[in-house]
Amino acid sequence: MHLKSAIFWAVALLLPAIQCVHTSNWAVLVSTSRFWFNYRHLSNTLSLYRTVKRLGIPDSQILLLLPDDMACNPRNAFPGTVYSNADRHMDLYGENVEVDYRGYEVTVENFIRLLTDRWEEGVPSSKRLMTDEGSNILIYMTGHGGNEFLKFQDSEEISSWDLADAFSQMREKKRYNEMLFMIDTCQANTLYRQFYADGMIATGSSEEDESSYSHHADNDVGVAVIDRWTYYVLQFLENEVTSLQSEKTLGDLFDSYDVEKIHSRPGVRWDLFPGGEEAGRNRRVVDFFGNVQGVEVQDQNSKDSLREDLESLMRLVKDYEDFAAAQEKNKTMMHDAMSQRGIVQKLQVQQQNQQKAVGSMRLKKENLSVRQITGVALLAGLGGLWYLGSKVVI
Amino acid sequence: MKCLVSLPEALWVLLTFVSCLSIVAATDYFERLDLTPLPLGSLLASFEFRSNESLEAYASQDFRYFPRSLGQVLQHAGTKELHLRFTTGRWDTETWGARPWDGTKEGATGVELWAWIESDTEQEAMRKWLTLNQGLSGLFCASMNFIDETRTTKPSLSFQRTGDHRNASLHLLHGVLPGKAGVASLLDGHKVFDASWQSMSVDVRPRCVSGQNCLVEIDQTIDMVLNIARAKRPREDPIPRPVQPYELICDETKPYHSQDTCYPIDALETPAWSLKDVFGRPAAGACPLAEEGGPEAKSLCLNIPHSQGVWIGAGGFEVRSPPGEAEKRCYQMIAGEPFDFDMPKTSVRTHKQIELEEELITAERTMTGHGAAKGGMRTVFTNPSATEPVNLVLFESLPWFLRPFMHTLKAQIVESEFPFEWEIIKDLYYRPAVDRRRGTQIEVVLSIPPASVVMVTYDFDKAILRYTEYPPDANRGFIVAPAVVRILDKADASGNAKAIYLRTTSLLLALPTPDFSMPYNVIILTSTVMALAFGSIFNILIRRFVAFDEVPENKIGKLVKSARLRVATLKEKITGTKADKTE
Repeated sequence: MHLKSAIFWAVALLLPAIQCVHTSNWAVLVSTSRFWFNYRHLSNTLSLYRTVKRLGIPDSQILLLLPDDMACNPRNAFPGTVYSNADRHMDLYGENVEVDYRGYEVTVENFIRLLTDRWEEGVPSSKRLMTDEGSNILIYMTGHGGNEFLKFQDSEEISSWDLADAFSQMREKKRYNEMLFMIDTCQANTLYRQFYADGMIATGSSEEDESSYSHHADNDVGVAVIDRWTYYVLQFLENEVTSLQSEKTLGDLFDSYDVEKIHSRPGVRWDLFPGGEEAGRNRRVVDFFGNVQGVEVQDQNSKDSLREDLESLMRLVKDYEDFAAAQEKNKTMMHDAMSQRGIVQKLQVQQQNQQKAVGSMRLKKENLSVRQITGVALLAGLGGLWYLGSKVVI
Repeated sequence: MKCLVSLPEALWVLLTFVSCLSIVAATDYFERLDLTPLPLGSLLASFEFRSNESLEAYASQDFRYFPRSLGQVLQHAGTKELHLRFTTGRWDTETWGARPWDGTKEGATGVELWAWIESDTEQEAMRKWLTLNQGLSGLFCASMNFIDETRTTKPSLSFQRTGDHRNASLHLLHGVLPGKAGVASLLDGHKVFDASWQSMSVDVRPRCVSGQNCLVEIDQTIDMVLNIARAKRPREDPIPRPVQPYELICDETKPYHSQDTCYPIDALETPAWSLKDVFGRPAAGACPLAEEGGPEAKSLCLNIPHSQGVWIGAGGFEVRSPPGEAEKRCYQMIAGEPFDFDMPKTSVRTHKQIELEEELITAERTMTGHGAAKGGMRTVFTNPSATEPVNLVLFESLPWFLRPFMHTLKAQIVESEFPFEWEIIKDLYYRPAVDRRRGTQIEVVLSIPPASVVMVTYDFDKAILRYTEYPPDANRGFIVAPAVVRILDKADASGNAKAIYLRTTSLLLALPTPDFSMPYNVIILTSTVMALAFGSIFNILIRRFVAFDEVPENKIGKLVKSARLRVATLKEKITGTKADKTE
């Protein structure tokens, strides 16, 4: 027991204090469009994917949602490749890509489950957003949208309220430290109008009643290959943010927006960020796009806080010891819950056994004729009964 | 968690075409690439990678050549034997002959998975099966989590355990996800996914050699049929453009052949090719774990006649197969030296072609009928052999919304040179569907007489689905999984029972699809009608026509008038007093 408390005492010195710096970087990149003519939405998302990978975020911390397969589409003249530029210099897809949600899996339900981490059992960790309160998240969405909605795969919609509620759930569950929300659709700025969780910076490509436009098309691919706002954001990221040591800030990024070139008015929302616009503008781009981690060292100046920590640890040690003792006597609450669950499970198993699944049955030809004869005889008998019955009743 | 970690590190090494010299049975790793030129300018490339692990090491999670992530998923799901296939494309039997590996390394179009799961009850086996699918879908980045109960079957005849199992309580579960498989690139994805047919397989099974410890073997194969002319197109500009007139290869025996009239026969010529042309890069030499000699050390094999000349580079030794065996030549590479060879252009008219094995039976499955309510399924089997009948099992796993009527199942001989009566359907195993929970499972044991064409048909009804059950691209149709045909009673050279499989193509089922814009249309039309009706009726009820002077006084009008009057009098007072003052 003394050894245990000594160990906990030693561990207490290493406990971090309140986190001001983020400790991990995650990215959720969503394309919401299906069909070949929406090639540019996929290439928008893939270009962001490559940027984020270039700046160091590993695949295990990137969630890529692509509803359609442009690279292996039979209409793609360049098999296995996705280009975001007509010069076809860089293939965004062919090598080293990990798509976590593909095809029919990109739905509004899955997206909200992903954000709030409410999954059934068995979902693999490559499909989960396993962030904690020190994680900075970059969320990028692109597709077709409108006034406060975004269309998923041409069959369902997500509204700005859904997004706002999901993000506030994340805030309640302490699933992020700071979040940068970027969206490239028509009337994009309306999507973040309803957000109310704090710690977020949101930026969109066009105002209400304004469309976002594509940038250019490739004549051999046959469709537009990139959207304007994303193109100019990428241009900034590729020219100015060349490595993890780049000191460019979000203020620089948003100042680089040129309405003449983008052909729509992009917007930024700062009011949900602690410190407002000044603090937000000073955040570095690589804080969201790159894999920069901070280490928080505990402040050891105040003795009182140390004593409080030690006292809480002593309480914790005592709780553990009580729990261990109770476990030996099988009297813990958890044990009660587990045994109750065991009873419920047994009931369920019993019910299932009663509805036992039938295996495949063997059909024989002879049975058919016998059954037909039996059927005909039965019908004849019943018909006869009916006829006689009508005779009997006068 | 990174996908594709499941493939052993040596597979990434193969990306640079290191051909690992392989190994006597005691060591754990074996690799081979088999290249077989096919008629009409195609090339069959078969990669195989095999590695072993002792059962004790596997059980204690001491993975060496066995991929850890896959091993952990299998152990967590209690799976003792696993067969996973990713296939796309169509195998052209008429041109290419028999399938590679007798069809055992091939799956349904899309993803096919069958596994033997250890458990005490069926329900637990189903739970473990779902866990296995979830885990594998995360590992391979494929939508295998869609293989749930509605797509799972328990075939009784079609699949057999190929490993040695001590424990008897094993349940076989089989799931097919027809359609897009979604595996990210292996090898060079640009070439693999441009192939006419490709199949990737992962087999995990326990093997016990008598007198020795048991091993867990993992066998991965990648087969693809590439069109050489297409593979030679440059990456930057793969769009075929019209060739210059002097580059056209014309059939000069035609009567109309002239300067401006040409019958092109370039399809009959196989262009010259090399490894760099077809795969994008040459083989980068032998694997450092190389064996120095032995028959398995030659890991790159070309199945071409001995009379065919090939120019090889400096980095390899050629060994030809002895007379009496199938003609092929294998190369042993030198470590560290890139190896390539140049195959010259061949023409089917002038060069001897390798003999292709003929398929024992050809199966084609199509849907018949028209309309949105019913249809029919027709499978046509052709037995080319003049003397041997073929016994086979046709296994179909149909979605629940395709409702077959088993009383309409008929088999008839369409054409035959066989003069006697023949009983075609020997046996039938059937498991009916439960709406939205389980699909139909049919296994028919058939016997096809020699030199005949047999047609097996049945009718089905199509179901209409609920509004939310349609996928986003509902008008495309729903994919029906291919049928699996297993040829029975075949033995290999040493007399052991051999499994031969072939699969039909998948089918697109056009279900009655609603017009998804109708809810919106109904709402706006109804709202418009109601607004118009309500507005008109309200107007008619409330409106009264009177003469102008009979218009009753309006209260508000009165108030306004009195207010105006007061303002006017006030003004007058002010101006009046002013006027008075000034005056």
